[in-house]
Amino acid sequence: MADRATFIAGVTAGLGRTEVLLPSSITETASFEDASAAKAKADKAATDASERSNELADQMAEEATKAGWKVHRASNSEDAASYVASICVQKKATSVLRSNHDALDQIGVDAAVTNTGATLEKTEHSGDYSQDQIEVSKSKAFSADIGITGVDYAIAETGTVVLHPRSGLSRLVSLAPPTHIAVLRSGEVLDSLDELFAMERNDFMSGELAGSMNLISGPSKTADIEGTTVTGIHGPLEVHLVILADS
Amino acid sequence: MSENTSTTPRPDRVTLFASCMVDQLAPDVGESTVEVLEYLGVMVDFLDDQTCCGQPAFNSGFRSEAYPVAERFVDLFEKVNGPIVVPSGSCAAMVRNYYGDLFRGNAELADRAKRVGDRLFELTEFVSQFFGTDAISGSRVGTATYHKCCHLLREIGVDEQPIEMLTNIDGLEFSPLERADVCCGFGGAFSVKMPDISSAILDEKLDFIEANGSSTVVAADTGCVYQMQGGLRRRGSGVQVVHIAQVLAESIKNSDSPEVKR
Amino acid sequence: MKPLTVNFRSKAAMTLADAQIQQSIEHVYTGFYKGRLTAAGDTPDWEDLRTKGKAIKDHTIAHLDYYLGLLADNVEKNGGSVFFADDAEEARRHIIDLAHKRKIKTVIKSKSMVSEEMGLAEAMNDEGFETVETDLGEYIIQLANETPYHLIAPAVHKSRADVAKLLDDDYKDGDRVPDATELTMMAREKLRGVFERADMSVTGVNFAVAESGSIALVTNEGNGRMSTTVPRVHVAVMGMEKIIPSIQDLSTMLRILIRSATGQRISTYVTMVNGKRRPEEEEGPEEFHLVILNNGRQKLLEDPQMRESLNCIRCGACLNACPVYRKVGGHAYGWVYPGPIGAIVTPVLTGLKDADNLPAASSLCGACHDVCPVKINIPRMLLELRYRTAEGSTDKDERTSSATERGIWKAWRMGMMGRRRFDIGSRIASIALKPLSRNGWLTKVPPPISGWTSTRDFPAISMSSLKSRLRKRNEGSK
Repeated sequence: MADRATFIAGVTAGLGRTEVLLPSSITETASFEDASAAKAKADKAATDASERSNELADQMAEEATKAGWKVHRASNSEDAASYVASICVQKKATSVLRSNHDALDQIGVDAAVTNTGATLEKTEHSGDYSQDQIEVSKSKAFSADIGITGVDYAIAETGTVVLHPRSGLSRLVSLAPPTHIAVLRSGEVLDSLDELFAMERNDFMSGELAGSMNLISGPSKTADIEGTTVTGIHGPLEVHLVILADS
Repeated sequence: MSENTSTTPRPDRVTLFASCMVDQLAPDVGESTVEVLEYLGVMVDFLDDQTCCGQPAFNSGFRSEAYPVAERFVDLFEKVNGPIVVPSGSCAAMVRNYYGDLFRGNAELADRAKRVGDRLFELTEFVSQFFGTDAISGSRVGTATYHKCCHLLREIGVDEQPIEMLTNIDGLEFSPLERADVCCGFGGAFSVKMPDISSAILDEKLDFIEANGSSTVVAADTGCVYQMQGGLRRRGSGVQVVHIAQVLAESIKNSDSPEVKR
Repeated sequence: MKPLTVNFRSKAAMTLADAQIQQSIEHVYTGFYKGRLTAAGDTPDWEDLRTKGKAIKDHTIAHLDYYLGLLADNVEKNGGSVFFADDAEEARRHIIDLAHKRKIKTVIKSKSMVSEEMGLAEAMNDEGFETVETDLGEYIIQLANETPYHLIAPAVHKSRADVAKLLDDDYKDGDRVPDATELTMMAREKLRGVFERADMSVTGVNFAVAESGSIALVTNEGNGRMSTTVPRVHVAVMGMEKIIPSIQDLSTMLRILIRSATGQRISTYVTMVNGKRRPEEEEGPEEFHLVILNNGRQKLLEDPQMRESLNCIRCGACLNACPVYRKVGGHAYGWVYPGPIGAIVTPVLTGLKDADNLPAASSLCGACHDVCPVKINIPRMLLELRYRTAEGSTDKDERTSSATERGIWKAWRMGMMGRRRFDIGSRIASIALKPLSRNGWLTKVPPPISGWTSTRDFPAISMSSLKSRLRKRNEGSK
């Protein structure tokens, strides 16, 4: 029967020691970088994202397309909203789910969706949900036609959208419905994984690490049958990225 | 790659390590090796007492048997100075990369072995490093392709240099072999301990060789040459598998000045 | 999973003779191997990343006790529970007990090799929990009642017709074979309801981040995301070596893992979980449990020659590069881990005595070492295990070499210890084989090398050694 102390003591002994040895600093792991180093990295990533926002948005559009996103460059909020509406119409959506990202409020997604005749499912944001409420929402998510979210970050290098959880329903919004639309605003695009994890680590060092994070790089896929890549398995079959230009 | 840097002047004398296989099964390869080196102006000494580097026993796990044979190798070759050249990537790898493991527990012998290994070169490595891949010309008419023997490629780090040497030969129509860097399935004793697997790997290699269409396959390790030639013969194929030393030696014989270069 | 390593040779022979499987396994080369090659070529600092990845893993394993403690502390700080399991039985028991306590009905599993070590899905089904593998490849082999064929693509050996038979009760031989898309949609439909009703999930862990108590999952299908979002209880299982120190280290490790596994620059989904759902979320697990498994890894840790194998990040690149794996397939290796990494860890984890064929089944080509994202020197460890089975193990049961083999190498050594006997021995062999040779080649040779001529001609041994040739040559030139 293992308990933590015995288990770890066994590992210590396996390493030929009698005591846990505190690791000395090596450059390859960032674990020895302190809070101020982490903040500096994150600040640099944020500044970069802001200063090069147009260039990064262009790169994001290109990489996201390669990754299988259907990319729409929206010149303004109306354009973005009307694109969302057009997808609802195209998919003959009756039930649409959205997350609590303010990009969606900015573009007026609620009206855009309901004007097509679809029902927009919003979830309560009062916190402290009961298990029954959770089950009801889950069921809504599994029967929705389209899920719409904003993004927390995007990664230009790989055409990736990064989502932290929001209050209410958000993870399932980008997962359960067969179509997912993500709305990206200028300044949200980071260069690469390095910058993303710099931001995350800084959040962690300041005690604000999100409860979870999902990186999404295209529609769900698998190559498990005869090595043939098939798009669309458990996650969304189709994903749209609306890139909102600088206002 | 070996310790010698490109600033070292060209050696004019080397000691040949034949390898047990070349010595007793394929002495033609050994003679060709000497011809190539002499053409480059290098005098070649042969230590009569040499036998084997010990690799076969080591690879099979019988280190107690490999040890004395390998020690004998070190004893013999440390008595000569200057570079040692061997027409085999796997033997070079054994001496340079695995003698340390074999002599684990005997730091002094391991150190002596390292000093021998530091001046031991595989043939194409030696030629390309000190003389360049364009040092040997001449002609050898015919289509040819090249198989990248695993130890030469991955343990010694010789990749495209032999191909450059081949394309430098007049009349040699070279075409790259698909999956040239995939093993032929020899693996020493593996070829007889697990012959069905070794042969299945060989079959794939031979399919690509036949698809390539060249009349000659060139390789730099005798074990691989025999694995592929033996398999091709069994298929009734006329494709010849030849050690690169022999190709270079033939090419030299057909060159304008086949005598020793000075 | 019960080790069947002792069946290596017969399983390998079966696979060699199976033309359909031979064709299917090609995908790991044309798809994954080629993909990795391209991805590595497109990544300018690829070699630096490998060096960095190796350094991170070397460092972590060298201080594994420290990082295990740190990880456990942080998981608990996030409100999760940590269970340390000495062996598979303990881990299984703990998860089953938890499922009973929480009145679980349906369990979804996302891909985890460690859970295969535990035989978890089977055990949970036996206990009455509806337990379903949700990774498509794992789902297929669960339906087939088989074990995984590959680390990344567990059903790589199955043809579309095979899969159709498993997914469609009405399908029979001779029907039109559905294409991969149709089959995939069938699986999506079948599993959708399972996701929705699942109340517990068991996932693996690609990387456990010690400093924050986070786990990272790399997937393409979405089942990993479902597993970390839908059920009320999430159990993550990991081998104790799957730790990295820092969140920032994920950018290095994810880059080398994903490119090495499939050639993608990034997988469709990367999920990082820091415990259970937060109160303001209307979804997500109520509980997060991390099960950390030893199950024999202790032996690898204690063994300085084998410890490096704990650096493995389970990308499968070595399988894709291995000419032996691509011929004998995953099942021949007899346990959870096939290919080169399997050939070195399986014998130590399950017993070298029965697994002695695994390190022997290699031409030592070194392709595995070449492609390993963290530069594990697999050939060196194969040679170490061969040494132990031949003569070097202190456990006599592990010294499985035969008296004949030992005799052969003794005779070989005697023959190599002097030039005269080396020459004489070769001449005797040359003369003895001469009657059997035609044009310098033999179609039959005697034991112990008779295996050669079953499929290849063997060269005649020369009548003169190089020594005598060179002597003649030098005399001639005087």
